[in-house]
Amino acid sequence: MRKMGSVPIFLGLLVLWQIVAASGGPAYLLAPSEIAKSFVAALGTSELYGHIAASLGRALPGFVLGSLTGILLGLTAGVRRGFDETLSPLVFLSYPVPKIVLLPLFMLWFGIGDLSKILIIAFACFYPLYINAYYGARATPRILVWSARNMGAGGAQIFRRVVLPAALPYLFAGLRVALALSFIVMFAAEMINARSGLGHLIRDSESSLRFDLMYVALVSIALLGYAGDRLLRYARSRALAWQE
Amino acid sequence: MKYVRPALLVLAILAAWEVTARSGLWSPILFPPLEKIARALVAFVTSAEGASQTWISLYRAFAGFGAAALVGGLLGLMMGRSPLVASLLDPLFSGTYAVPKLALFPIFVFVFGLGSLSKVALVFLECLYPMVIITSQGARGVPRVLLWSAGSMGARRWTTLRRVVLPATMPYLFAALRVALPVALIVVVITEMISSVDGLGYLISYSLSSLRTDRILALVVVISALGLALDRLLLALRDRLVYWEKLDTYFA
Repeated sequence: MRKMGSVPIFLGLLVLWQIVAASGGPAYLLAPSEIAKSFVAALGTSELYGHIAASLGRALPGFVLGSLTGILLGLTAGVRRGFDETLSPLVFLSYPVPKIVLLPLFMLWFGIGDLSKILIIAFACFYPLYINAYYGARATPRILVWSARNMGAGGAQIFRRVVLPAALPYLFAGLRVALALSFIVMFAAEMINARSGLGHLIRDSESSLRFDLMYVALVSIALLGYAGDRLLRYARSRALAWQE
Repeated sequence: MKYVRPALLVLAILAAWEVTARSGLWSPILFPPLEKIARALVAFVTSAEGASQTWISLYRAFAGFGAAALVGGLLGLMMGRSPLVASLLDPLFSGTYAVPKLALFPIFVFVFGLGSLSKVALVFLECLYPMVIITSQGARGVPRVLLWSAGSMGARRWTTLRRVVLPATMPYLFAALRVALPVALIVVVITEMISSVDGLGYLISYSLSSLRTDRILALVVVISALGLALDRLLLALRDRLVYWEKLDTYFA
């Protein structure tokens, strides 16, 4: 019943927005109908897809790279005390630092092309995965580990068959955070310096007062983020089927 | 003893940096030796300009963060306690969560101008979300036993709010603050890098254009130190105010 409440509220807000915009709001406040029109029109052009491809071409590799590294190192830190004591303090301490400040440095080192952006996205995605993998590995119920050892399982087997499945929910939680983060960092990096991509499109269209394009880019990004999140939730439900 | 290993790792990284910088493989512009970076750092920290630029960025971050903390905390509290408010605001926040609010920055600049307001407004918006979402979770989860006990001892609504709901929500409030604080810093730096004529983000952009890698790194150190210090401050504050529940500090 609570769920029903959100749809009419949303619609109500949309209607309100439409009325305000149609009755002569400021130029940058486009009516939802206008936005929808522009969006559908843009879907027909190849330009939009070019920008989307450019953006995804940075966000996804960065996401995968950062997440895998984070998972690997985080799990290792979760099971090996020595590794943990060496690396974890650095990770946890540097966590509240805005990683985006390294973008200019990366741009100097790796050029102003895609590589610097992919790397900074990877760097940002590393953290949530490391932290989640770390806590996930540590949260393995000891009794399961003991049972496995009792039945003669070796270290690698225990890791693969006990620790990894136990950490999986944490990993997926981390992946969700990292995916959203990858979009945000990609966005920021593109707004700061890029020749293509949705972030660049927003900035470019705003400065040429093409607000319709700006909203199109906004909607695209929101849709992409939402779609990515849904995909991840689906993957999670499949992978954690044994948990439901 | 606990700090020996990470300290060794840090030293190893610094040593590797120094070796690479002096190896001549890359130009010293790209890879400044530690000494140069240290010099730039000292120069920045001891200069009046450095202090004023830092203050500008901090001021923007705190203005937005403070406003978001107040508004977000209040909204979260209301959302947690009143189903009506929750049904109104919840879809609003969870629906627009996926939209990167940074995308609205160009509009903000258009509306609020190139000065601090556009940045403060974005910081406010970005910090509002974690504040509202996390605080409302906390306010919603107040153990009913406590509410009943208070009621049966004759507490009226206001007293219950002040003596039960508020303390129960405090841990969540601080969790939200800890999430929102780095966000504030990040947003300030990013917005200043995108369009600004002052502030730390602008300085980074400027140093990039003038190829002053040593200064970029010095600024990175400064911003990192700020982020760390503020986080620790927040933790200390939490320790004082939420005295009944200490955090298990693994550097967390």
